[in-house]
Amino acid sequence: MENTLTLLMHGFIQVMQPVNLMFLTIGIVLGLLVAVLPGLTLVMGVVLALPFTYSMDVIPAIILLTAMYVSGTYAGAWTSILFRVPGEPIDVPLLWDGYPMARKGEAAQALGWTLIAAFFGGMVAATTMVLLAQPVAKIALTFSSPEYFAIIFFGLASVVSLGSGKLANALISLFAGILLATVGVDDTYGAHRFTFGVPILADGIDYLVVMVGAYGLGEVFMRMEQGFRSPQLEKVGDIRTRLPSLAEALAMKATFIRGGLAGIFIGIVPGAGATVASFLSYGIEAQYGKRRHQMGSGIPEGIVAPQTAATASVGGALIPLVTMGIPGSGATAIILGAFLLHGLQPGPQVFQTSSHIIYALFASVFVGIIVMCLIGYFATKFMVKVLDLPEVIVSAYVVMCCLLGAFAARNSLTDVWLMVIFGIIGYLFERFGFPITPMVLGVILGPLAETNFMTTMISFSNDWTVFFTRPVASPIMCVAIITLIWPLFRHWRQQQRRTK
Amino acid sequence: MSAPLIARLRLLAPYVLVCSIGSFLYYTAMQIDFQRRSGVLGPDFWPKLILGLLIAVCAYEIIRLALAKDLDTGTAGVLEEITHGVDTAPGPETPPPQNQPLRLLAGMAATLAYVALVATTGFFLTTAVYIAAFLIIGGYKKRKVIATMSVGGALLLMFIFMKLVYVSLPIGSGPFADLTILLMKLMGIR
Repeated sequence: MENTLTLLMHGFIQVMQPVNLMFLTIGIVLGLLVAVLPGLTLVMGVVLALPFTYSMDVIPAIILLTAMYVSGTYAGAWTSILFRVPGEPIDVPLLWDGYPMARKGEAAQALGWTLIAAFFGGMVAATTMVLLAQPVAKIALTFSSPEYFAIIFFGLASVVSLGSGKLANALISLFAGILLATVGVDDTYGAHRFTFGVPILADGIDYLVVMVGAYGLGEVFMRMEQGFRSPQLEKVGDIRTRLPSLAEALAMKATFIRGGLAGIFIGIVPGAGATVASFLSYGIEAQYGKRRHQMGSGIPEGIVAPQTAATASVGGALIPLVTMGIPGSGATAIILGAFLLHGLQPGPQVFQTSSHIIYALFASVFVGIIVMCLIGYFATKFMVKVLDLPEVIVSAYVVMCCLLGAFAARNSLTDVWLMVIFGIIGYLFERFGFPITPMVLGVILGPLAETNFMTTMISFSNDWTVFFTRPVASPIMCVAIITLIWPLFRHWRQQQRRTK
Repeated sequence: MSAPLIARLRLLAPYVLVCSIGSFLYYTAMQIDFQRRSGVLGPDFWPKLILGLLIAVCAYEIIRLALAKDLDTGTAGVLEEITHGVDTAPGPETPPPQNQPLRLLAGMAATLAYVALVATTGFFLTTAVYIAAFLIIGGYKKRKVIATMSVGGALLLMFIFMKLVYVSLPIGSGPFADLTILLMKLMGIR
């Protein structure tokens, strides 16, 4: 514990260095802007920022991306509450109660609750992250390939069953992603898989190219087809933030705790992210909250529950990334990409080899939340002005960042071609109701899943039952299978009820 | 053909397409060339496993859609269940978006042309023209803003990526390269 605190203090010293603090503030501001703009999602923002970090040192690069990730879960609440325009999917539950509060003339209070919820969720999750990271890393050191495969399988199962849309479409998207990850020369046998004689495909398809194309360009194509229609904004009077009193906040402690726990837990689960946390926390509050019957009518609980969970999910999602090298969400996959670009492989060993970088990352989450809340308190009025920018202009530069991002990774125009192809595929996926996130997670986690599966098969003489007989792998596999079967069971039960 | 049948075929089409691609890739996976070792799974096992699952899901969905009475009864994820039935507060009325496929196709064509031409015409010129074309295709009409955004934006991106991020962007060939090199000199880029 003492060691952890010392390392964290060193992390704070790193973050407080002027250059790092500057990049943290830039990251926070960019994250807030990305979250406010309806055409840009938090993952897209982090993806687009990655090429700008290529020439940076590892610590400022990771601080910048993490700061964007943290603040990207917060600012979309402003536009949800004030204009009924969710900046991104995370913020949809916030408009169910936030917007009615604004309509009742309580916009300042609603913004205040959002700020407190983001602060509480972020701080609790960051503390949990610091406390859990070393013990989890120690446990992870004892893991072997069956355990790693089980964890990844759980992540892949949860991204399918926790998402929105049809389960079959999510599965198809996931399998497409895993297949894309198999393209290239196989590590063990040197066999060419799905390269079709194209030399560049022998190196495989970089998941960053898939992410930039599917999330960035695909979304722009989608909005282009709809004619770049900027949302109709209502006239809002003076935009202020009024913080709740301590007594008001304490009266809602159960909501804060439920939201925080839901966020941390969902964040830790690989595959689920801030959006799932936000929706699930709202759902929990609507089922178990003291004022559950008033949810949707404009009560603070409807804001606190999703916002606390969304920001708390950041701390949770960073745990599997740093302790096991498993990115649980799109944004953490980009942060992993930044680590790898600087020759650093996150995982249990990283606490021995590069603990100063990990604790700088942890400290940046704490400082980032404080900076984010300060900006949120004083600058909401100015930040929402970005909505006045014509969407087509923002989109033109988003496309340019996509093209440059794909090119800069390997200085290769072939990567740009691939990115454009994935942009078109991303558009087609969205157009026909196939979610993109499972495909992206499939590309990211696919190679890890294959390596650990094949290693297990070689080590245990092709005995697949080993996944269900080892003490750690077995319960994880069972939970993963239940996670997959649960939506099918619910669907079957609903159909039974309908026929009755 | 009746309207319900067309609607059903439209829903079936993506699954049939994915199933066909999956089957082709499965055939390709069977041709993967490697030295087999007895008792050890080869590099073809994993892709074949995933393709098998992909084809199975598509086949299930095709059969379900072909036989289902109600076309909207697919199994949904948990988020879908939570959001289903939640009433949102009424807000300002916004008409549903109207799809503009020609605009989309023009945008896609411009993007593909950009990638095809950038190696020859160089980053600055191609980017300036592309941004201008994108804004025009996107329906933006203010000419002065288009000119500023395209030329200024191309110069700014060139400066950031070549001077600060150290990415060697395509300079083009022939006279286009001369133009890029001149601009690089003016911006102090080596």
